[in-house]
Amino acid sequence: MQPSLGQRLIAYTIFFILGVLVLVPLAAGVITAFKPRIIWVSSPPTWIFSPTLENFEFVLIQRNNLLHLRNSLIIASGSVTIALILGVPAAYALARFRFRGSKGLLQWLISLRMIPPIVVALPFYILFQTFDLRNTHIGMMMAYLTFLIPLVIWMMRGYFAEIPSAMEECAMVEGYSRLGALRKVVLPVVLPGIIATALLNFMFAWNEYFLALILGGRDTSTLPAAAATYVGRAQVEWGNLFAINLIIMTPVIILTLILRRQLVKGLSLGAVD
Amino acid sequence: MKVVLQDLVKKYPASDSIAVNHVDLTIADSELIVFLGPSGCGKTTTMRMIAGLETPDGGKIFIGERDVTYVAPKDRRVAMVFQNFSMYPSMTVYENIAFPLQALKRSKAEIDQLVREAAELVGVSALLKRGVRQVSGGEAQRVSLARAMVRRPEVFLMDEPLSSLDAKLRVQMRTEIKRLHQETRSTMVFVTHDQEEAMTLGDRIVVMSQGKVQQVGTPHEVFFDPYNLFVATFVGTPGMNLFDGVIQQSGDTLCVDLQGYMQPIPERFRATLNAKTPTPVKWGIRPEGIRFVDATDPNSLAGQIEIIESLGSRQLVFVRSGDKLFSVIVDSLHPVRQGENCHLHFDETRIHLFEAQNGRSLTQRG
Repeated sequence: MQPSLGQRLIAYTIFFILGVLVLVPLAAGVITAFKPRIIWVSSPPTWIFSPTLENFEFVLIQRNNLLHLRNSLIIASGSVTIALILGVPAAYALARFRFRGSKGLLQWLISLRMIPPIVVALPFYILFQTFDLRNTHIGMMMAYLTFLIPLVIWMMRGYFAEIPSAMEECAMVEGYSRLGALRKVVLPVVLPGIIATALLNFMFAWNEYFLALILGGRDTSTLPAAAATYVGRAQVEWGNLFAINLIIMTPVIILTLILRRQLVKGLSLGAVD
Repeated sequence: MKVVLQDLVKKYPASDSIAVNHVDLTIADSELIVFLGPSGCGKTTTMRMIAGLETPDGGKIFIGERDVTYVAPKDRRVAMVFQNFSMYPSMTVYENIAFPLQALKRSKAEIDQLVREAAELVGVSALLKRGVRQVSGGEAQRVSLARAMVRRPEVFLMDEPLSSLDAKLRVQMRTEIKRLHQETRSTMVFVTHDQEEAMTLGDRIVVMSQGKVQQVGTPHEVFFDPYNLFVATFVGTPGMNLFDGVIQQSGDTLCVDLQGYMQPIPERFRATLNAKTPTPVKWGIRPEGIRFVDATDPNSLAGQIEIIESLGSRQLVFVRSGDKLFSVIVDSLHPVRQGENCHLHFDETRIHLFEAQNGRSLTQRG
């Protein structure tokens, strides 16, 4: 049914308001990131100025954020990779086989997602201290896996469950082992789902702030943890803060744009087409 | 290739209820055998055990002389067509049919030839380059048939392959499967809950209920000589007329007292029954075994026509006689009118008697 003019008008108005709500602060931030220090918080705001990269230069080089960028990349991509390697087969098993405790296991996994990071922060801190994991990349990855693996399992289990088990059974009768059947016929079908899962997980690990602050250290501090240092008790370094925010946002935006088609396919996988 | 099931048992996982209960069956070489039964009767589970997708909890499976009970599905040289799955969505029609051959590591040229032959046989040659979204449901099911055939399997297993197709296509594909069987002469096992499908396809039918084989026989045997009440009621539409009765001596003749109507028992039952009188039984006759006769016929039962349903070339007539409602099938040209009085005659050779207690047929078998 074609929506009427009135309905469309309402829809566009809502979209416009939502767009303004999201984009105005973002735009203000992006503009500020390119402002020279002297007019960061000028009142009234300065709209016309010659853009400068001095904020970026300051945060990246003088404040050593290239190291934090590197940490963020290592920890986010490392933890997502491990989460997929462990989580995808687990999700397949939970989707296909019913075994003693399989249902309870799933519920326990979802409950892990409900834990606020602050609850695990202290036990983690003590554990990490004991095992010398604080301020290590591997330690940070392990901490994130607590949250990533359940997310991978829950998303991927849904994708696997959508596929009729007859598909790999058919391949198994036709001369393939279960693993061969998985690789040849199931994997191509769930690939968009894996990509969507990977992206969502990457965003979690990339943006995570709290655990990074507690468990990271000088050598492993990630960008979000570093960004927080620009908010001081006495003053906020607005230009530097927005510069680093832009640096944090850009890889995720680029990834999303590259994977947009796969992402939409993945998020709507199993929906009626 | 011959298939032998020996005392096959399968329990449902995580419970003690039994899905397949001590099934013994020998499927002859190049036979088309149909497993027929209501859902949950164990027919699909039995087939999945032949395919190797389920491991039996007891018993043995032989394909030819080979004990395959614990052989992996990929090494059984069987092919299976599934109910709810036809084509690998990530592959074209051609790649689908070639898929089983790739597992065998055949050369490209050989694969190409075999794929084209198989596609030709099921009539999908024009579709080889298409993807899953560009073929209809019937075409996709043909592709899965081609994919099953291309490996020259020793046994074909078909798990309700036609149930997702519309009625017209189903009838058409049924004929094609029959033709394929005649051309390839391979052993086929076909699972269905559709008795019409079973009747038209099967060389023999295995009627199953509650994990047990109820009867194995040709379509003719299963229809005309059911071993028990389950088979009698499950096979045939509309179902057999069945009434409670008690066997009694009435003068010289042995009769069934159908509460208000004494029906003489045909000669062929008498040997089994003499000793046991009076016994409660179920008396049955198929709607096709009843005729309308004149009132002058001495062995007729008077009744009144309640409902008439047209079945096309034939008509289904419901006749009320006392507290009993008989369904009768007669030719559509036979003049009947609702509310009319009529007389029914039961064809003696079509009468069935079953023990009331266990449902077993009282017909003597050699």
